[in-house]
Amino acid sequence: MKKDPRVVFGRCMMLGLAWTVLAFLVVPMAIVVPVSFTDQYFLSLPKEGLSLQHYAAFFEKDIWISATLDSLIVAIASTICALFLGTLCAIGCWRLASNRAEMVRTFMLTPIIVPTIVQALAMYRFWIDLGIMDTYFGLILAHTLIAVPYVVVTVSSSLANFDVRLEQASRNLGGSTSQTIRWVIVPSIMPGILSGALFAFTISFDEIVVALFITSRNVYTLPKRIWDGIQDHLDPTIASIATMLIAITLALLLTELWARQRQRAKRTARIDIGGE
Amino acid sequence: MSLIKTLYEKDLYPEIEDSAESDFARDCIQIASERLAKGEIDRRTFMKAIAFLGAAPAVMTLGGKTAQAAEEVVVVNWGGPAVEAYTQAFGVPFEKATGVKVVIDGTGPLGSKIKAMVDANAVTWDVCDTGTGTTLVLEKQGVLQKIDYGIVDKSKMQEKFAYEYGCANYMFSFILAYNKTKVPSAPTGWADFWDLEKFPGYRTLRKQPNGMLEACMMAAGKDKDSIYPIDLDLAIGKLKEIKDYVIAWGSGSQSQELFRTGEVIMGDIWHTRANLLNQETNGDVTWTWEQGIVTAGMWNVPNNNPAGTKTAMEFIASAQDPEQQLVLFNAMGNGPANPAAAAQVPDDKKYIDPGQPENLAKQVLQNGPWYQEDSGVRNLTNDELSREMWLDALSS
Amino acid sequence: MHASLSRVYWLLIAPAVLLMLVFYIYPLVQVLWISVTDPVPGFGNYMELIDRPLIHRIWITTLRICVITTSITVIAGYAVAYAMAQVGERQRTWMMFCLLLTFWLSVLIRAFAWVMLLRTQGIVNTGLQEMGLIDEPLRLVRNEFGVIVGMVHFMLPLAVLPIYSNMTGIEARLVSAARGLGASPFEAFFNIYLPLSKPGIIAATILVFVFSLGFFITPALLGGGKVVMISEYIQVSFEETLRWGQATMLASTLLFSVLLSLALVARFVDLKKVFGAR
Repeated sequence: MKKDPRVVFGRCMMLGLAWTVLAFLVVPMAIVVPVSFTDQYFLSLPKEGLSLQHYAAFFEKDIWISATLDSLIVAIASTICALFLGTLCAIGCWRLASNRAEMVRTFMLTPIIVPTIVQALAMYRFWIDLGIMDTYFGLILAHTLIAVPYVVVTVSSSLANFDVRLEQASRNLGGSTSQTIRWVIVPSIMPGILSGALFAFTISFDEIVVALFITSRNVYTLPKRIWDGIQDHLDPTIASIATMLIAITLALLLTELWARQRQRAKRTARIDIGGE
Repeated sequence: MSLIKTLYEKDLYPEIEDSAESDFARDCIQIASERLAKGEIDRRTFMKAIAFLGAAPAVMTLGGKTAQAAEEVVVVNWGGPAVEAYTQAFGVPFEKATGVKVVIDGTGPLGSKIKAMVDANAVTWDVCDTGTGTTLVLEKQGVLQKIDYGIVDKSKMQEKFAYEYGCANYMFSFILAYNKTKVPSAPTGWADFWDLEKFPGYRTLRKQPNGMLEACMMAAGKDKDSIYPIDLDLAIGKLKEIKDYVIAWGSGSQSQELFRTGEVIMGDIWHTRANLLNQETNGDVTWTWEQGIVTAGMWNVPNNNPAGTKTAMEFIASAQDPEQQLVLFNAMGNGPANPAAAAQVPDDKKYIDPGQPENLAKQVLQNGPWYQEDSGVRNLTNDELSREMWLDALSS
Repeated sequence: MHASLSRVYWLLIAPAVLLMLVFYIYPLVQVLWISVTDPVPGFGNYMELIDRPLIHRIWITTLRICVITTSITVIAGYAVAYAMAQVGERQRTWMMFCLLLTFWLSVLIRAFAWVMLLRTQGIVNTGLQEMGLIDEPLRLVRNEFGVIVGMVHFMLPLAVLPIYSNMTGIEARLVSAARGLGASPFEAFFNIYLPLSKPGIIAATILVFVFSLGFFITPALLGGGKVVMISEYIQVSFEETLRWGQATMLASTLLFSVLLSLALVARFVDLKKVFGAR
């Protein structure tokens, strides 16, 4: 059957448009990479030759290393806290499955909709009263609160596909609540927990507005350093950091892709065997 | 837009405003760190230069021994390379002359922090390196000691910068910088800056009005002596005339970047940044001192300072020495406050010193106290009201 | 379920809820409270909303930018999502790849990259000039245009994902059926597919609009000091002029407008679906 020319035309238009938009998305990344190899001492494209000095600067300068460490400490700690709180909350709500539990789950989403500047202002004020301004604890607490909703969402959607009967079976076999959660529920909702962890980690690692408000000198995260770098002297180290982050993201995505393909290959193989 | 790093200290004392002029001190440090970082001056040369100059025999004007026999005097500035520069410029000579140890603390003398210390009766700082705005605000709060002009010599600074509760430490200017490859002829003042026909292209002004309002007034035809009191409506009206061709700079480096990338042809920026641009572009970007606006960094002494009033005043007096101010000038670019230092500036550096008589003659001395006067509108000071109107006009 | 068991599950929920109440909701309430008590009790701060032309303009700018950003983002996002729903597995993976890659790139760095690209002597202008398409460089950044470009860029993945996930649920056969009944491809799309994908569009619209309202970093970096949105003004009134009353009033107003727009939309769609909590 010959294809309707209008369909072909529409399809070409659609694909063209979609890829244009995607190209628009990727363009800024394409620019950051060459900038990171600049031979100048301010952010710009390389003029006379390529240079690795800004990569070296990242590893040599204390300020960048300590900022990275601060960011890692805060991101890891708040991810763990958010995972713990968020997963338990999601499991509780899911199991109760009542209207009130539903309301609780909706309530937990508040930080997603509150504009960042508003929550920064609110936390700033309260953190002074608590005396936890500019402490690791203060920032970890703030980031935990911001990240919890994302964990609740991802874990809840994982739980939606989980068979309640498995849980009941575990109980019937005499498993306590904590045993059931630990050995039955958590393993089977692992994908949700992991993607929640990924969300929580990146949110904290990237967070700037709240950090600007509630930390000053003791806690100095990477985004804050980058912010200073842009404000103060357009330090090309920023571009080298961005390039490294892009590379890491790329690596993670590719690994995930590869793992998924392998899994699928395995599954197909199994089905094939089963079919024979 | 620089979120100040210790926001919350300000909040404890909301009435204290850290005026934008302390930004200049921080910017100087930024410049020096940058030059160190990119190897334009290596650390040893930097140290050697300041050590050599600092070791030159200082002419002391101190009267014998100090009465309180204080052991050390703590001087607070904005940190980074400024700690080394201040140590060499002011610390070493004072120690030699009096035996009193000088500790340079780079924590940053935020107005709110000074107020907090005084209120808590836990003052650990003797001399603070602030600006005109902070001085006046702190004066209102009753936090500072009067400068003892019996010890500190008023004649060793511009009289306009000898406040009752603070005195000039160094000077800096807002000047008209331009890219000479992009203008038909050299602009000679703010009237030219406002002339969009003769000088088509984008200009840069600061996001905050301090140092800009004066330019607006001169553009409106006021001569240098009749700028103050600033007529805010007139000044803001002038901004509105050219605002479509204005890009605002927030930090010193931003102003530099705008010239560097060719986005602007002219700008009202700090002389230190103009000088960096001049070097970087081999002279393409240059500036005129004509109708520049000079202002000063200030020494303050908080109440009940640990080393005692006399020692603190003596330190300030010692730092008035031209040789010492030259050390700071060489290391950081801060213009000497003492007019006597002008003659000692090497000839090849005179063009970057705002305090040279021929440069000074072309400029206006900023009237800091005007900013803290009541504007008559909604209980705001001129500073607060002008910030609001400036932002309003820029974004309209 | 046993009452005792139910209590156990409530115990699981409690820590998160308590934490949220004490450290998140209470501070927000405090902000509302300050807005009506500082410097004097009453609604004096809110009068500024009516009295001060500056605040009017900032709000109008904010809303205008949000509406434009949202429209562009949703349309562009729809195109991408539609393509993703139509193409083969391999191409879809690459599309998803592009989307997710930007998702993780720091907002600061993106803003900076846009400045490099769009400024007068940036790459885009130089390129266009070399191709002879323009004589004078275009003003692409440090104005509203630049802010919108930056914001659209940030929001796109947020728009694509809900639209796409909605589209995966649409039966392709419905469109084929319409075609079989003699509808042109365009009629089939506009009369069948588009209405079916409406929930996704609405979800994307809310998400993007709500996030745009509170946008802070991108306007500050790309606006050149001339595009002041409400978030930046909150920061200015708080940091530079230290007026808590005004800052909290603006923050409360911002919060209310977000809640209001959500409440309006909630009448048409299930919001819990939009934010992923089924």
